[in-house]
Amino acid sequence: MASSVISVQGVTKRYAGHTAVSALSLEVPAGGIFGLLGPNGAGKTTTIRMLLSIITPDEGRVVLFGGAGSGRELSARIGYLPEERGLYPKMRVLDQLAFLGEAKGMSRWDARKRAKVWLERLGLEDWTTRKVSDLSKGMQQKVQFAGALQHDPELVVLDEPFSGLDPVNSQVMRDVVVDVARSGRTVLFSTHIMEHAEKMCSRIAIIARGEKVLDGNLAEVKGQFGKSHVALTFTRNAGAAAGPLADRALVARVDDYGASAEVQLAAGADPEALLKALLAVDVGLSRFEVVEPSLQSIFIARVGADAAHPTARQEA
Amino acid sequence: MNKVFAVIRREFIERVRTKSFLIGTFLVPLLVGAFGYLPQLLARRDTGSKTIVVLDAASGPIGQVVTSRLGADSIGEGEGRKPRFLVVRLPAEGRLEQLRDSVVATIGLQEGPADAADGVLLLTEEAVEGGRISYLGDNAGSFRDMGALERLIGPALREERLQRKQADAAIIAAANVRLDLNSTKVTNGKATGQSGEQTFWLAYIVNLLMYMVLLLYGIQVMSAVIEEKSNRIVEVLVSSMSPFQLLMGKVIGVGASGLVQLGIWGVTGFYITATLASGGTGSGEAGVAADGTAASFSVPVISPELVAVILVFFLLGFFLYAGLYAAIGAMCNTQQEAQQANTPVTMCIGIAMVAVFALMNDPSSSLAKVFSLIPLFAPIVVPVRYAISPLPLAEVLLSVAAMVVGIVGVVWIAARIYRVGILSYGKKPSMKELWRWMRTA
Repeated sequence: MASSVISVQGVTKRYAGHTAVSALSLEVPAGGIFGLLGPNGAGKTTTIRMLLSIITPDEGRVVLFGGAGSGRELSARIGYLPEERGLYPKMRVLDQLAFLGEAKGMSRWDARKRAKVWLERLGLEDWTTRKVSDLSKGMQQKVQFAGALQHDPELVVLDEPFSGLDPVNSQVMRDVVVDVARSGRTVLFSTHIMEHAEKMCSRIAIIARGEKVLDGNLAEVKGQFGKSHVALTFTRNAGAAAGPLADRALVARVDDYGASAEVQLAAGADPEALLKALLAVDVGLSRFEVVEPSLQSIFIARVGADAAHPTARQEA
Repeated sequence: MNKVFAVIRREFIERVRTKSFLIGTFLVPLLVGAFGYLPQLLARRDTGSKTIVVLDAASGPIGQVVTSRLGADSIGEGEGRKPRFLVVRLPAEGRLEQLRDSVVATIGLQEGPADAADGVLLLTEEAVEGGRISYLGDNAGSFRDMGALERLIGPALREERLQRKQADAAIIAAANVRLDLNSTKVTNGKATGQSGEQTFWLAYIVNLLMYMVLLLYGIQVMSAVIEEKSNRIVEVLVSSMSPFQLLMGKVIGVGASGLVQLGIWGVTGFYITATLASGGTGSGEAGVAADGTAASFSVPVISPELVAVILVFFLLGFFLYAGLYAAIGAMCNTQQEAQQANTPVTMCIGIAMVAVFALMNDPSSSLAKVFSLIPLFAPIVVPVRYAISPLPLAEVLLSVAAMVVGIVGVVWIAARIYRVGILSYGKKPSMKELWRWMRTA
């Protein structure tokens, strides 16, 4: 394997009263999109802050680009979008980006030029001389996005990049992220929205309570969970499905979403037997599909199991 | 270093661009000018001759003497010269009260003859003997008119009393020589051109100025820190530069904008006081001032050394207090919270300002010397002492050294609090937590 862009080695960070990140190790290879997944409070943001040397780990170390130098020293090669978005509200958009560029070590002139290119790309070219406070929230996020990417970094770290965006802007941002990764750069983003990770990431790591639950190539992770999943959609009388789904001979685990559900079949169970059982209870079945486990399902299985059933770990 | 410069420039430009900076920079000198100029303007407007009725109930020629003395005084110069008082004498023996009431009834009426009386002077026998004289008039509140009355009537009555005791004319003249205390400030064994009063004003102004700028720009640094913290922009910045670089950039940026503002205030202040001073001597007020009855405000002499001391101690004091205010800002989440938390720091500046009033009487006392060596107080105490009387260079340098040590200590502590504080949200830290912040590597 090519040398990792990010190598997190046994990192621990404690705060008064609790451990935010505990002996965490991660390898992020060069290129592609890496998803750092976890429920709220799992330690995603703390981990990202340690990557960027905003805070220092109590134990362990972070190696970037395979060599010496902290995130701060290498900041010219790293783009960062923090979870809590922040810009100077009274500052003009272009001045703001020029300043962020200067903070990354660009010359002022260069930073302004690159900022203009990015504002145009994100459809904000008419807003360059407006104050940030005149912009809508979505536009402000785009400005900050431009700030994270304008210095053409080799590594882009995005903390919850799509939260709080409407579907249209969310799509614009995702397209940009995919473009960045396609041009050979490495993107790491954190999220708790599994659909985004599932569509975009080549590798993922799931962390919960400061510890790594699993990591690896997305396809491999899914492979480990087997193909024995069934996606269901009911059009009526969804409650009646509870009986067949509770049959332990057929079903190992259910993620019930109300009008739909994802089911992990019991070892050796036949999908057709489940289909027959469901048809018998008349739930207006509109979808019955044998699928790969969704990331959502894996996430709930692993993180939920960690949280509620400590013994479930050995079964998996 | 380029990053620090980028922070400085951003802080400076964004600050100078704001409306409040423009208003503050240009409105403050205007207001100060207005406060200095308005009383003079109002006083000058009031320049018509006043008509005074002298009700003469005293025996002898004193009534005529007072009347002619009052009539001889004048206001204005050259073309505009006119008598201060138009005086009418009415013999009033035996009917003083009756006449008084009828004159008073005409005073201050909106509609009346143009030469109606403005006031009535009751010249009685007791006034001559006991020195107690009554004046009733619509200008009784005018310092200038009342001062002129005292100045003109006093000697006349004194002469009359002396004459009644058969005093010699030469003795009377000798008794009437006025006292004129002419105080001059002595500096380093040499007499300066500065009067005692001017020295007081200068020290007073320097005191208020230092107090104001330390507070003003210190609080600005605090607000800037909280702004970055509450905007969360600080997180992006400290991923690209160290918190210390950010802190230095902010402090220097705010300080630079402060220096520009101070410079503009200084230049306009000099200009306004200079025009006021020349305007003052050009008008008739000089005549009054020369008489010593209504000394107008005179512009203090400011030496280049004093300007240097003010600038040096402003910069030193600013760095010290900016560090403290930045640390306070880093501990707080909102401006409201910071307003309470900054009280101890703000009080230090206040103590220095109040202490200076006590030190003004004896600026070279040992207490003054001790205050000059305490970094928290020196930025106000030293320039004020210097304004009163220049200190030996060695003493100034000792103060500077004490301040530099103080700044290094404060910045070391402040930077540590700042570094942790800007990323800590939620409850304000306790003293114990602050201690832990300071110890973390």
